Amino acid sequence: MNDPYRHPIDRREALLRISAALAAGGAVTAGGIFFHDRRIVSPSARPVPDWRTDEAHLPPGVIARGSDPAANVRRALDALGGVDRFVARGHTVLIKPNVGWDRLPEQAADTNPQVVAELVRLSLAAGARRVIVADISCNDPARSFEHSGIGPAARAAGAIVLVGPKIRLVRTRTGGPAAGLEVMEALLDADRVINVPVVKQHSLSLATLGMKNWFGVLGRGRARLHQNINHSIAELAATFRPTLTVIDATRILTANGPQGGSLADVREVHALAAGIDPVACDAWGATLLGLEPRRVGYIAAAEGRGLGRADPRLLEDLGTA
Amino acid sequence: MSWGRRLRILYQAIFLLLFLWLLDRLAHGDLHDLPYAAFHHADPLSMIALSFAAGVIPGAMIWGLVLIGLTLIFGRFFCGWICPLGTLQQLSSWMLSPRSRRESLTVNRYRRWYATKYGILVFLLVLALAGSLQAGLLDPLSVLARGIGAAVWPVLPGGRSLPGGWLAAGLLFGILLASRWIPRLFCRAFCPLGALLGFFARFSLFRIHREAAACTDCQLCTVACQGADEPLGEHRVGECVVCLNCTVSCPEHAITYGLLPPAPPAPDRPDLSRRWLLGSAIAALVVGPVVEATGGGRSAARPDLIRPPGALPEPEFLERCVKCSLCQQACPTGAIQPAIFQAGVEGFWTPVIVPRRGWCEYTCTRCGEVCPTQAITRLTPARKTGTDGQPPVSIGTAFIDRGRCLPWGMDTPCIVCEEMCPTDPKAIWLEPVTVRRSNATPVRLQRPHVDPSRCIGCAICENRCPVGSAAAIRISSTGETRDPLNNMLLPRPTQGERPQ
Repeated sequence: MNDPYRHPIDRREALLRISAALAAGGAVTAGGIFFHDRRIVSPSARPVPDWRTDEAHLPPGVIARGSDPAANVRRALDALGGVDRFVARGHTVLIKPNVGWDRLPEQAADTNPQVVAELVRLSLAAGARRVIVADISCNDPARSFEHSGIGPAARAAGAIVLVGPKIRLVRTRTGGPAAGLEVMEALLDADRVINVPVVKQHSLSLATLGMKNWFGVLGRGRARLHQNINHSIAELAATFRPTLTVIDATRILTANGPQGGSLADVREVHALAAGIDPVACDAWGATLLGLEPRRVGYIAAAEGRGLGRADPRLLEDLGTA
Repeated sequence: MSWGRRLRILYQAIFLLLFLWLLDRLAHGDLHDLPYAAFHHADPLSMIALSFAAGVIPGAMIWGLVLIGLTLIFGRFFCGWICPLGTLQQLSSWMLSPRSRRESLTVNRYRRWYATKYGILVFLLVLALAGSLQAGLLDPLSVLARGIGAAVWPVLPGGRSLPGGWLAAGLLFGILLASRWIPRLFCRAFCPLGALLGFFARFSLFRIHREAAACTDCQLCTVACQGADEPLGEHRVGECVVCLNCTVSCPEHAITYGLLPPAPPAPDRPDLSRRWLLGSAIAALVVGPVVEATGGGRSAARPDLIRPPGALPEPEFLERCVKCSLCQQACPTGAIQPAIFQAGVEGFWTPVIVPRRGWCEYTCTRCGEVCPTQAITRLTPARKTGTDGQPPVSIGTAFIDRGRCLPWGMDTPCIVCEEMCPTDPKAIWLEPVTVRRSNATPVRLQRPHVDPSRCIGCAICENRCPVGSAAAIRISSTGETRDPLNNMLLPRPTQGERPQ
């Protein structure tokens, strides 16, 4: 085609314009390839770590008695070989008390604040980089942490207290009844986890102890676990393997659990158990409520799954200080 | 020398007919696996907005790159040669408005406010970055598909009515009618896809060139111009839709379309101030979070928000759905309807299942097959129904309203819901009872119960329930597979777990 009006352009100009187009095309193509099908359609799910330490030579647990809860914690941990066995320099330690309810310490619906604070102090003294105290409360979380005394006591001891909206939830690769439920992210990020429940009566599972305390790390949808509660608690215990379980029996709630309210239902035991066998610890807690441990469905189920032994006599009683 | 224009008209006719034919086959139950979403797959606006919102370009959407590449070579030829909405506007402009040359000269001049489309583009892309994908509302391919689904199929003989469809029909008719006054008004001033392609066209190698020495300033090129890109003055490459009318109309043959024309490319900034673009971006950053937080779409599961089977969890779904209406048109029972209120502000015109209008056919997987962005993932019938050994895909659960149910509330025999229930074994089972009516005659009834662990929410029971207005058995979204948290029941123990 011979067009009288078309003049050729010089090579430099042509190259410039072609390379501009190529650069634009290259940039878009690179972006397109970068984004193409990069993300898996299903939401990402994180694995749950195992926080146990290899301390096979230790006793499964010990019982300390006395009117000073903090002293009980120190004696129990010393008998287990010292907190250094469990927490090393630089660790992030997550302490999971039961802060389910907007109740006062005297009502025994939440873990004793002095027990929690002493665990915070010991962990920090062992060199922990951060100690986090967290729970997903059933009542208003701010009021629950404040009135239970756990928030102020843990903060004073140097812990980071995660309450309410500060808790980020993520999906985990849990199977079983908790499949699809969300778990607090701080738990999955922790190097060591200490489970610190309080002993309480519970109408459906008979007793709220350590393994039942894992309900508090779960987000929306945990209520449906009650449809098959013993199986669910055993499943949670198989999913979450803590470094240490500390059963607080400073005061225990013997009726109208798990939130109680009346001081008539509270019994002062002034004791606690600490150990690496969560089933044995729960078994001891069950005896305080007058229950035969293996008659508690989830304790029997957990023992059946090999998560520990449902025998309170395995715990060494250190006696009263 | 009009071969270029003739070729362009041929292309326009072919692509318009192809678009309409695919949509017709889709909406009228052709079971062949045709490339129904081909146009949408090649849409770079959806591709880029989707990558901003969802951080991913799903599957075939990557074809948008090809269109961008071709635009870098040929300019906005898509608008002038392929886009079926552009073709229809050109057609309506030609049919509705016999303009004099003087009138054409006036309406085909560039106006500053044609830069509005760049503001719209920036607004939609920043909104996508802020997490809300709304580009489909003004995407010409979706506008046309929605408009035809709402304005053409429902009025044809045997067509199904589409409540709320007037909104989509109105937008399409408005766009076509506007061409009566200004040809291709939507392309020139509002189309975000045109703006995006216009941005890339600024690099294009092939361009319109006017040889100034031969030009007599007769302005016949402007009279014929579709894009209002002023071939006479400083040609605006970003506005030009490559209709080639100017090359044909020039009596001096001074205008040509060719590779790397000699004159240096004119400074072809879209005529708009930075302030305008910045304003659009800020507006999107303000609007996005407000709509997300208060639009009512993402918050806890809404009972009437029943998404098609295979739909992603709601936040991911909203990041991907471009509101093209293909799934709605593909649904053989008419169950999939555009959401007007059910999905909140963000979810306007996203697909929801409305049981009284249709039900989810047990082994049908068409909606996921046509979804261009995989907001509805592709299922096989075996996967959907659970015959592959995994749990079936559920979209909700049926609840019996015992006060309205004939056997429960009226002592009248009826088993329609149980009869319709497609699962095996049936999710609806019947309990035989004998009761006495008010006149003391005994009547034998079979009262329906729902086994929620088997119910997949397909809604055929609600659709066929003989109780008028609100059915006596109704679907609610709880139990949907896509959101494990919107589930009242504990997951059933799988093998190896021992329920207590």
